[in-house]
Amino acid sequence: MESTHAKYIRQAKSFVDQVAAEPGGEKINECIQCGVCSGSCSTVEWWEYTPRQIIAMIRAGMKEEVLSSSSAFHCVSCYLCTVRCPRGIKPASLIHAVETIAEREGYRPKTKALPLYRIMRGSMRRGRIWDFGMAFTFYMKTNPIDALKNFPVFVSMTTRGRMPITPPRTVKGAKQVAAILDKVKAMGG
Amino acid sequence: MKQYTFYPGCAYDSSGLPIRLSIEATNPLLDIELLELEDWTCCGCPGASISELGGLAVATRNLALAEKMGRDLVSACSCCYRNLLNAHQIYTRDARIRAKLTEALAAANLKYNGGARVRGLVDVYVNDIGLKLISSKVKKKLNGLKVACWYGCHQTRPFGPDDYESPQWMDWIVTALGAEPIQYPLKTQCCGGAELMSDKSMVMKLNQKLLDNAIKHGAQAMVTTLCPLCFTNLDAFQRHFNSETGKKFNMPIIALSQFMGLAFGLSPKALGLDRNVTPVKKVLEPYYSTRMEARV
Repeated sequence: MESTHAKYIRQAKSFVDQVAAEPGGEKINECIQCGVCSGSCSTVEWWEYTPRQIIAMIRAGMKEEVLSSSSAFHCVSCYLCTVRCPRGIKPASLIHAVETIAEREGYRPKTKALPLYRIMRGSMRRGRIWDFGMAFTFYMKTNPIDALKNFPVFVSMTTRGRMPITPPRTVKGAKQVAAILDKVKAMGG
Repeated sequence: MKQYTFYPGCAYDSSGLPIRLSIEATNPLLDIELLELEDWTCCGCPGASISELGGLAVATRNLALAEKMGRDLVSACSCCYRNLLNAHQIYTRDARIRAKLTEALAAANLKYNGGARVRGLVDVYVNDIGLKLISSKVKKKLNGLKVACWYGCHQTRPFGPDDYESPQWMDWIVTALGAEPIQYPLKTQCCGGAELMSDKSMVMKLNQKLLDNAIKHGAQAMVTTLCPLCFTNLDAFQRHFNSETGKKFNMPIIALSQFMGLAFGLSPKALGLDRNVTPVKKVLEPYYSTRMEARV
C-alpha cells in the first residue's frame, strides 16, 4: 500500500513532468526560487499567485490550485522575467505552458483572457488576423457594455482607415495554416 | 539599394497603417528595398499563450517560405519579430520540438531547414544603413524637441540584439535627427498588448504610468517602435483612458519612421501623421516644412 507521503510525491512529480513536457516548461526543476521573475513582472500586482509562487506550487503538485487560478492569464508576455532569470528558465514561456495545460484540460479560471486567446487562436485560421472581427466577437461574447464604452475609439480608428470593418482578403496560405493547426491539435499540442 | 524580404504582419494594414505609410515613404531615401514575403500568414503570436506549439508551427511556416528567398527576413512589428525569431531559435536548438514542428509542417507539405535570418527594421536602420547616412538625409533638424524613445518589449526582449535593460538604438537615431532623447526609467515598459481587450484596467494603469513617467522627465512627445500594438495602445486609447480615469494626458505618439520622415522633409500626410488619433500638430508643427499642408 502506497503511503500518503509517497502518493503526494508521485502526484507532484507527475504535474512537474507534465509542465516540463510543454515547450517552455523544460527547465522548471532548475528554479532556485529567487523571486527575480516576480520582482520584474509588469503585472504582478494583479496576480493571485506570483510567478515564483506558481513554480513552487507546480513543484508541490498543487495542480488544481494552479490551473484554476487566473494568475497565469495576467501574463502580458513582456519577457522581463525571461531576460533576468539567473537560471535561464524562461518563466514567461513556462507561464504559457501553464495556460496551455489549463486550456487543454478544460479548466475555466475566472478571466477574460482565456476566451480572448481562444478567439485569437481561432482567427489565425483565416491566415491573417482581422482586428475588427476578432474584437467584435470577443466583446459580444464577454462584455458588450465595454464595447459601447470603446465605441469612440472604434470611430476614431475606422475614420482614419486603421480598423477596416471588412475582413482582409483570404490568402492561399490560410489552408496551410489550418492544416498545420489541425495537425498540432491531433498531436496533442 | 539594400534588399530584404519583408514580413509586414497583420496589423500593418489596419491599426499600423500610419507606420506602413511612413516606412514606405522613408525607405527610398535610406536605400532600403523591402520585398514583401509572398503568401505570408499570421506570425503565430495570437493565442500562442494557450498553444505554444501551435504558435511555433504557424511561425515556422513563414520561416520556411522566407528561407527560400535567401535574403534577411525583416519585420517592423516587434511581436512578429520576436515570434518568428523565437520559432527559429527553438527549431534550431531543441531537437524534441523540432521533430514536432517538422511533423506539423509536413501536413502543409512544407519543410523548414533552419535557414531564415530574422531581423527587426530598427536593427537594419542602425546596423546596415547607419546613423551617418540617416543624419545626411536630414533636411530639417528637429532641434529643441525633447522626446521619450519608448522601446516596449519585444524589440529588445528577450532576443536583443540591442541592450534589453537600457536600449539605445532609437535614442541614437533621434539624436542623429537633431532631437534630444530624454532618459527615463520606464523606457522598456510593456504596453499591455492584446490584454487591452480582456483586462482594460490593468493595461490602462500600465499606459498611464508610462506616460506619467515620460512627462515627469521632460518629454514633449513619445517616439515609439515600429510595432503597431505599442503604437496603437498609446495613441488610439490615450483619450479613452483619460475619460475613464479623469486624467488629462495629451502626449503626441509618433512612430520612429514617422519621426524620421519628418526630419527628412516629407509631408505629414505621406507619413500618415493625419491618421494618428492623439493630435501631433501642437508639438510637431514648427518642424513641418513651409510648403506642406500644416493642417495635420
